[in-house]
Amino acid sequence: MNMFKTAIKCVAAALLFSSSAYATTINFYNWSEYIPPGLLSRFTEETGIKVVYSTYESNESMYAKLKTYDKNGYDLVVPSTYFISKMKKEDMLQEIDHNKLTNYKNLDPSLLNKEYDLGNRYSIPYIWGATGIGVNTADIDLASVTSWTDLWDPKWKGQLLLTDDAREIFHMALKIQGHSANTQDETELAQAYELLKELMPNVLVFNSDTPANPYIAGEVEFGMIWNGSTYMAQQEDSDITMVYPKEGAVFWMDSLAIPKNAKNVDAVHKLIDFLLRPEVAAEVALEIGYPTPNSAAKKLLPKEFIENKIIFPDAETIANGEFHSDVGEANIIYERYYEKLKAQNL
Amino acid sequence: MLKRHISKVLLLLVYIYLYTPIFILIGNSFNASKYGLKWNGFTTKWYELLWNNDTLLQAAFNSITIAVFASSIAVAIGTLGAVALFKHQFKGKKFISGLLFVVMMSPDIVMAISLLALFIILGLELGFVTLLISHITFCIPFVVITVYSRLSNFDNAILEAGKDLGATEATIFKRIILPIAKPAIIASWLLSFTLSLDDVIVSSFVTGPSFEVLPLKIYSMVKVGVSPEVNALATMMILISISFVIAAALINKSDKSV
Amino acid sequence: MNNSSMFKRFSIGILLVWLSVFVLLPNLMIIVTSFLTRDDANLISLTFTLDNYVRLFDPLYFKVLTHSVYMASIATFICLIIGYPFAYTISQLPKKIRPILLFLIIVPFWTNSLIRTYGIKVLLAKKGLLNALLLNLHIIDEPLRMMYTEFAVIFALVYILLPFMILPLYSSIEKIDKSLIEAAKDLGASKFTTFLKVELPLTLPGIIAGMLLVFLPAMGMFYIADLVGGAKNLLIGNTIKTQFLNIRDWPFGSAASITLTVFMAGLLFFYYKVGKSIKNRGNNA
Repeated sequence: MNMFKTAIKCVAAALLFSSSAYATTINFYNWSEYIPPGLLSRFTEETGIKVVYSTYESNESMYAKLKTYDKNGYDLVVPSTYFISKMKKEDMLQEIDHNKLTNYKNLDPSLLNKEYDLGNRYSIPYIWGATGIGVNTADIDLASVTSWTDLWDPKWKGQLLLTDDAREIFHMALKIQGHSANTQDETELAQAYELLKELMPNVLVFNSDTPANPYIAGEVEFGMIWNGSTYMAQQEDSDITMVYPKEGAVFWMDSLAIPKNAKNVDAVHKLIDFLLRPEVAAEVALEIGYPTPNSAAKKLLPKEFIENKIIFPDAETIANGEFHSDVGEANIIYERYYEKLKAQNL
Repeated sequence: MLKRHISKVLLLLVYIYLYTPIFILIGNSFNASKYGLKWNGFTTKWYELLWNNDTLLQAAFNSITIAVFASSIAVAIGTLGAVALFKHQFKGKKFISGLLFVVMMSPDIVMAISLLALFIILGLELGFVTLLISHITFCIPFVVITVYSRLSNFDNAILEAGKDLGATEATIFKRIILPIAKPAIIASWLLSFTLSLDDVIVSSFVTGPSFEVLPLKIYSMVKVGVSPEVNALATMMILISISFVIAAALINKSDKSV
Repeated sequence: MNNSSMFKRFSIGILLVWLSVFVLLPNLMIIVTSFLTRDDANLISLTFTLDNYVRLFDPLYFKVLTHSVYMASIATFICLIIGYPFAYTISQLPKKIRPILLFLIIVPFWTNSLIRTYGIKVLLAKKGLLNALLLNLHIIDEPLRMMYTEFAVIFALVYILLPFMILPLYSSIEKIDKSLIEAAKDLGASKFTTFLKVELPLTLPGIIAGMLLVFLPAMGMFYIADLVGGAKNLLIGNTIKTQFLNIRDWPFGSAASITLTVFMAGLLFFYYKVGKSIKNRGNNA
């Protein structure tokens, strides 16, 4: 019993003394593993600004939390593509002062000024990626895979991997039918739904963690995959690769954004500028295994990483694909259809 | 004789079932492959990385702290409650059972959002306290149900006898009920500790930037793949737990010999 | 006021206050929300509607509900079948080693559930350990597909929830008065009859507690359905989580959660009544 009491006392003492001695603190809300170890303490050494790093497991829960708890206390968040446009529209973000960012010029212009945030007034690209077709070339002839429609082939019955994301799955059908992946048109969505219904018998898994795992484990040989995951999977099994479908791949961008009620906005700009430094951005890209939007950083990355066409597709491929932006009220149509699709095989 | 063997085989099989995934992760904590699906050679680099990963270690420490406090408080409240529910007939009895059922039944996300809304209304800052309150709340039903099931079928006459002999309620609780309920109390503490240590959804909504817990850290890694450092951390935690078991067994032995 | 009633008031009061503030209040908010309307930008708009409840009659949700009740029932049943003899065996062992064995049951569960689930994945994968074992023993010729099936979901549910069955069962089996069993034996009852007529009824509270602690959480284990079930073998927990996070239809999600609670309460009440009447009939016979 005494030991127990002592333990409680120790814990209480630890809790009391863990409060910080730094003048300025930034609360950085991000995915884990999105920052290499030791990077933030370098920033603190340099500027005296302490960074508290906390993590979320999905854009959806980050959004729900920031939306409800408006004194949220978070100073910097990293929403993916269409959450930027949604949060911007709902006045949840504040403008970023580009004049305070000496390293903004390092960013690749072809990845700026996208529909989800024209002029990048609310978001600074951090890491980007693409979703295409994953292929295990040990069993599949790579040349035979060119289009999203290849997934519909009945020979894949019960074998495909799809990413667990309504927008990405509708992207395929909408693109096949020649529509924008950002459509808000009900009839276009209804048509896409009909097409996706035919795809469902082929689905083995709606994958919600990194898609590299099932490909490496040999659970799946064909389906959707992210480009960064492909690169990771190739380190384990060189047969795994990714095809950018001719109808256009899904592109997404995780961007730094400042919530409306953030404090220490100056310090946050300093952190953003730090993350835009070529050497820092290069370190981040290598850690995560996804492409960096930072052109200056690309020069510092290993050649095999830069020349990997899966990681860094050419400008034409990027132009052919589409970034997702917020579809407003239509989002519920996507999600409701998706709900039905997932329960179809039940 | 045969029957004894059968039951021993059963014990063994269940332990194998429970520990196989654990051995896999211990193995993977030494696996050079990041994904742990193939063996790429022996390494201790994940332990080295873990050693330098202060945020992960801090989150683990925070999680254990919360779990110890939450399960202890939940066990205190829940045991008192279970005993009262068992001993007395009172007006709010059905009301309490109903609310306990609601907690058990509430999907994590509903509890998370409704508690968050409550904390906002109460003006509590998100962090240690809000997290603790939430964890205590979802642990209580597990305690009440476990302790209550142990007490039921228990002969009320003993309590009456105690009362007739002039014992106060507190004495009866301490001298009669607690010893009877002890195995259930320990069991429910262990269950609560486990629940608290593993909660993600509720925690992600009710904690603030100042207090990060381990499950949140781990679940937010899924996008780029969970780092094997986590396997290393889990291995350490299992080793520590097992050494506690051994220590407890040894203490138990020396107690008996005195 | 005397000491005794103070103690009684304290123990009831603290639980009552806690549950009222941290369970009743939040749930009242959920009930109110369930009658409001969804709003894309503000989550909820203050317009009264019954539409959320009407929409629940979609066969889709019924399908998900029956599927999760089915999965949770199987998982609970398996937990009971494994858990009862297990807890029983432990209770027969020397007193000294019992706590250690029980503690060893719970230790694996102090590892994060995601990591444990990855362990299960390695076990069940096509190129996984179980398949390798079966292939080596020549029980199968080709690796079985186990991941992303109902089997995998139930395997993982049983894995995660087994201690929630074993611990309450153990604590109720352990207290059985050995003299009752001896008495039954002396009266010439066979081992099986003794078990059926003496031990089983005495441990019934533990069985019920264990089944509750397994069955109810099983319906909500969304990450199991996502990670090992491939998000096709949906549990009701997934659906409700989707309403709140992906669809952002909080009123509908609230209505679904309330309906689920009421439905389950009804189901349990029904079982309770049936169980009671069977018990009574048994006593009369």
